[in-house]
Amino acid sequence: MLVFENILLALTAIKSNKMRSFLTMLGIIIGISSVIAITSIGDSAKGVVGKEFEAYGMNNMYMYLNWEMTQDGIEYSDLIMPEDIEALQTRFPEDIKYIVPYVSAESETKVGRLEGKLSMYGVGTNYAKFKKNITILHGRMINKSDVEGNKDRIVIEKKAALNLFNKENAVGETLGVVINNEMKDLIVVGVFVVPPSLFDTMFMSEAYSTYVPYPILQTGDKSNWAVELYTNEEKDQELLGNEFKSYLSRIKDKDPNFYVIEAAESQMATINNILGTLSIAIGAIAAISLVVGGIGIMNIMLVSVTERTREIGIRKSLGARTKDILMQFLIESVIISAIGGVIGTILGITIASVGMSFAKIDVIVDPKVIILAVGFSAVVGMFFGLYPARKAAKLDPIEALRYE
Amino acid sequence: MTDEIIRMETLTKIYDTGEIQVEALKGIDLTIHKGEFIAIMGASGSGKSTLMNIIGCLDRPTEGHYYLENIDVKEKSDNELSAVRNKQIGFIFQSFNLISRTSALKNVELPMVYGRIGAEERKERALELLKNVGLEDRAQHMPNELSGGQKQRVAIARALANKPHIILADEPTGNLDSQSSVEIMEIFCRLNREGNTVIIVTHERDIAEFTNRIITFRDGHIIKDEVTKEAGAC
Repeated sequence: MLVFENILLALTAIKSNKMRSFLTMLGIIIGISSVIAITSIGDSAKGVVGKEFEAYGMNNMYMYLNWEMTQDGIEYSDLIMPEDIEALQTRFPEDIKYIVPYVSAESETKVGRLEGKLSMYGVGTNYAKFKKNITILHGRMINKSDVEGNKDRIVIEKKAALNLFNKENAVGETLGVVINNEMKDLIVVGVFVVPPSLFDTMFMSEAYSTYVPYPILQTGDKSNWAVELYTNEEKDQELLGNEFKSYLSRIKDKDPNFYVIEAAESQMATINNILGTLSIAIGAIAAISLVVGGIGIMNIMLVSVTERTREIGIRKSLGARTKDILMQFLIESVIISAIGGVIGTILGITIASVGMSFAKIDVIVDPKVIILAVGFSAVVGMFFGLYPARKAAKLDPIEALRYE
Repeated sequence: MTDEIIRMETLTKIYDTGEIQVEALKGIDLTIHKGEFIAIMGASGSGKSTLMNIIGCLDRPTEGHYYLENIDVKEKSDNELSAVRNKQIGFIFQSFNLISRTSALKNVELPMVYGRIGAEERKERALELLKNVGLEDRAQHMPNELSGGQKQRVAIARALANKPHIILADEPTGNLDSQSSVEIMEIFCRLNREGNTVIIVTHERDIAEFTNRIITFRDGHIIKDEVTKEAGAC
């Protein structure tokens, strides 16, 4: 097949027409780089979403009142009471690993002359076991005795410790806060860090993030409009959620859709779906430029065949077979587009990395995409090179030799 | 005869241009033996170039038979004809037809590339061939860096690459000055003395004088076929 000779020949031809070869490649370069950049950005975004959700735990879910069903106002019997939570736990001992009322509060605090705002999140026992990205630096996390004893304890993030107490280890210090219009002094029992999260910067205020035993945030009647759960992660989260809410509706004698479930897993699936569809759609548009690039290659190969008509005649007179000439031109167009594909891939990854570095996101490049892109560009070269190559191969040697 | 290399029997070539049919060769009978040194003469349009194309297997006869080493060319496929051109025929053209931007060495290697000969052997043999035509020091030169005579010598080296049975030269001295022409003809003489069959198309009488048999064409017919000296006596 003379593949090696033809590759050398193609490289020589490309080198001797540098400008022309580059312009020919440009279409492929633009096409491939945009496809790679878009899919990489899409994959990176998916990766970020995945990490965010992983931080919360994929088995995390919330169950809350369906506001649409309570248009006429909430009745006391609608709310989720401690006995309902207990009933759920008893009914699903294997599937509910953690269930506490979803309560949070914000409060200003003052330590000497230093001021700050605390965002207090009510947690139960073992919360850190489920929300895995919490690292305790000093002291401990909220524990069973804090929760059961309704103790005024707080675990604060490192930033709060540094800014309010001028030291990292603030264990033992006291923070004055207002909860449900009541002044309370909370004792710091732990200092933690969590990796920076996109969601935090997007949705959270400048308040310091802290954890407190959930009972201290509850109002007197201990009623709740929502609960937070961690479930058996081996089971289908959506199915589990449906079981929970229909059980709760039944014991509360409500419509089956009176409560709704928001599961981390299905939310992530939805977001990933949107991102995936989006990057496929934009990628497909970018792929059109590949076809335009292919037409450019075909055009230049036709010019090249005409220019080299005499050379083709000489080669044929020296014993080149039709197939040899076909391969010569086909390999040339495949190489032009494959080089374009490689340059396009590098450019695309560069674009994606630069773009993602602004968003401080690590770029994810799927090796499959690279192989696919370079392979596809070679296919484009082959497809659009075939017609000119056949034209060359079919030239009559006598006519070709006469060509001036 | 056992040593005949080319035999043509009532060979006819008609060019069909659509509206008119041009009969370029009108029933040629011709036999050429191994080791002959032949000049084909004639004015332009006499059919000598058509004959060259047919002998060189670039074209096929319309009617009649052309036996190359006792095998009827008519029965060969296009690929087989390519192989014949590659192995059995060595072409030399008036305008040299070297491939531009390709070194003399690579040009000489070309028939061996299509003959699927390995790179090392190819290079070795190409260098030897260039040495035989006195151009070993020009191996890496590009065609545009060579004089006309040098180009034609590279072309001869290339024609000899696969040790062809017939050397076919179409006006090989047509683009050369008289001194280079003589040098080129002397190379052909030497090749003929070494036993090669050499066929030259020319319209110059003094070039034809180098050969031992002069065949003259007019209007598609052979009008004269004279043996001027013994084969190999050049």
